[in-house]
Order: sequence, then structure tokens, then C-alpha cells
Amino acid sequence: MSQNSSRSASMMFGIILMGVSFDLLAHGVAENTRVFLEQNTGTQFIPFIYIGAKHMFTGYDHLLFLVGVIFFLYRSRDVLLYISMFTIGHSITLLWGVLGDIQVNPYLIDAIIGFSVIYKGFDNLGGFKRLFNSQPSTKAAVLIFGLFHGFGLATKLQEFELDSDGLVANMIAFNIGVELGQFMALAFIVIAINFWRKSPSFQRFSIATNTLLMSAGLMLVCLQLTGYYLS
Amino acid sequence: MNEKNTLIQPIVSTKTLIKSTLVASIIALIVFVVFILPAEYNIDPTHIGHKLGLTVLAHHEDEPKPRADTVTSPDQRQQVIEVMVPPGKGIEYKFQMAQYEKMTYEWMTDGEPLYFDLHGEPQGDTTGYFESYAIATLSSMKGSFTSPFSGSHGWYWKNLSEQPVSIQLIVKGQYQVIGLKQ
Repeated sequence: MSQNSSRSASMMFGIILMGVSFDLLAHGVAENTRVFLEQNTGTQFIPFIYIGAKHMFTGYDHLLFLVGVIFFLYRSRDVLLYISMFTIGHSITLLWGVLGDIQVNPYLIDAIIGFSVIYKGFDNLGGFKRLFNSQPSTKAAVLIFGLFHGFGLATKLQEFELDSDGLVANMIAFNIGVELGQFMALAFIVIAINFWRKSPSFQRFSIATNTLLMSAGLMLVCLQLTGYYLS
Repeated sequence: MNEKNTLIQPIVSTKTLIKSTLVASIIALIVFVVFILPAEYNIDPTHIGHKLGLTVLAHHEDEPKPRADTVTSPDQRQQVIEVMVPPGKGIEYKFQMAQYEKMTYEWMTDGEPLYFDLHGEPQGDTTGYFESYAIATLSSMKGSFTSPFSGSHGWYWKNLSEQPVSIQLIVKGQYQVIGLKQ
């Protein structure tokens, strides 16, 4: 029974990691969304919520980081606290980036987001404690990387020269959507990890999982830096 | 730090840490070079991406980004070129065209008429031969031509006034920009 449940849990975890749509690779927004965004005028509250939610739910760079963050958080209170830090971080820079019209290179910001995944995987292995005998504050890290993830979200909206008419409302709708998408994705991830954590395979595979996390982060960094050099 | 957190979170040995980092890097680099580079950017150092058909994915993304200065596609968009002729000086602006390639053009100065010679020089010619298609003194002109031979084709403009004169040249057709010759 326990073996069965652990298998289904890890399968679920795998589906979440693998099943995200690859046509949205890193900073893509799907084509029909693009058409909508470019033709849009005025306030479109619900559509922007949907776009934000979809971006987060299918944005595996953000999700990989969150998997890393909650990997060793087994108390709901901690999960809530860390996710709140992340939410505060990315909301600040999303709003600031779009409203202040701050131009950051989307490739570089997505490379930093990739780096955040490497960082968290390394941190989860206890790499900082092992190498430097001290671990940088995990709460500060999630907040600071949250700021970078927010700039990444801002660049997605800035890719389309959005109509200034209704910009604030649309952007807030997008932000609400991001949180909804994050909440839905996290619901799956938290349930899957909590489930998996009960089985002995969790400890056995925690090193492998975080190694893969580092690996995926490194792929994202390479992908984005190549895009940066070619653009 | 939360003590309960540190209880569940293992600190791996230095050996495992190094091993994990190496394995992560190797997997990432292999996947990146073999799969991601060909599929995303059509860069395929191992040729495996091409054999797997992955480079097809990157093709359509490459095409809509022509380099403005070296395009030769038959139905390219028009190109607007701004040049400035210093007072008392002459300049040449040339395009490389193959035989029977066509160009539609329109140019205008900021008002000042200029002496000009629209002409072509055959490829590889060393005698200084050129063929003129139009010679006049005008402040604007519109037209088209088919190159009678392959070589460099374009304008010589001479500014006889004492003010610099700027020209806006709009071209469309089959050519490669050679650019300004002083």
C-alpha cells in the first residue's frame, strides 16, 4: 500500500514537472494570447486574470523554484510564510516594473530566474552549510529571488505595448491571476510532496531530486543566456 | 533557523555535494547541447538535433528576422536610407545587384537640387567603365530599373551649394546594400 501510494505520488510529481506545456518555453506567451494582448484596449479585468494565472500555472521556471522552496517545508505554516514572502517579492517588482516602465532584458532576468532554481537545489542539498559552514537566510533568499521573478513577470507584460488606457487595472488583474495560478499549481505540488514525504523514497530521492533541480536550473540559464547573446 | 527544518533537511557530504553538482552540470549540458540548442536556436554542434528533426522547430522562428542590410529575398520590404552630402562634395551610394535584378526607388533632398548620376559598374571591371541610366540636377526622383549586368549600381550625388544637403532614399527590390562611398 505504502509503496503504491509513494509511486502514485512520485508519478504525480513527475506529471507536474513534465506536463507543463513546452510551447510556452520560458518567455513565450501563446499566440492567441499575444493577439488578444496587442488588440486589447481599455480594462479587461477577467481576461488579464486568466493570462496571469495561465502564465504562472504553466511557467515551469517559477514552479521549479517553488518546488525547491517548499521541498523541505513540511508544516503548512512554513509553506504559507515562504510563499507569502515570494508573493510579496514578485508583486513589488511586477507592479514597479510595469508602472515605472523599467526596461530589463527578458533573457537576463530569465537567466537569473534559472539561477534561482540552481541556488535552491544547492541550498536544499545543504551545500552552503557544507561549503561555508553557514546557510544564508532562506527567507531572505525567497524574498530576493521573488523580486527577480517579479521583474520576469513584468517583462512578459511589457513585451506587448499595452494600451495605457486601463493599464493599472489590467496589471492588477494580471497580478491577481498570477497569485491564483500559483495557488492552483502549489496545491498540486504541496499535496504531491507531502504525500511523497511520508514514504521512505522521499529521503532516498531527495538528493537526486535536488540534483535534477540544479540541472534544470542550469538548462534554463544556458537557454536564456544563449538567447541573450543571439538577440 | 528553524530546528525542525534542519532536522529533516540533510546536509550531504562534500563528496556527494561535488558529485551532485557534477551530475547536474553534465546532464544540463548534454540536454542543452543535444536538444535545447537545436530546437530553440537551430544551433546543432552534435548534428543529433538535425537527425532527430528538432531543428525544424527553430526554423520558422529564424525567418521573420532578416538583417536589414544584407537581404536579397525577392519580395523584401522597402528600405529607407538617409545620407548627407557635405557642401561642395560628392558621394556615391551603391547596391550590389545580379543581372536582370530589379529595383524600385524614390529619393528626395531637403529641397536643394543636386547633380546626380544613376549608373552601374560591371562586376570585376578594372577599366573604370560605367553605364549611366540617368543624369540630371533635381531635388527628387522616382523610378525603377533592371540591372543590365551584375555589379554595383547606385547614385552619385554632387552638392554644389554651400550647405550640407540630406537625401532620403527609399528602395525596394532585389539587391544587397554596399553603402556609402566617399
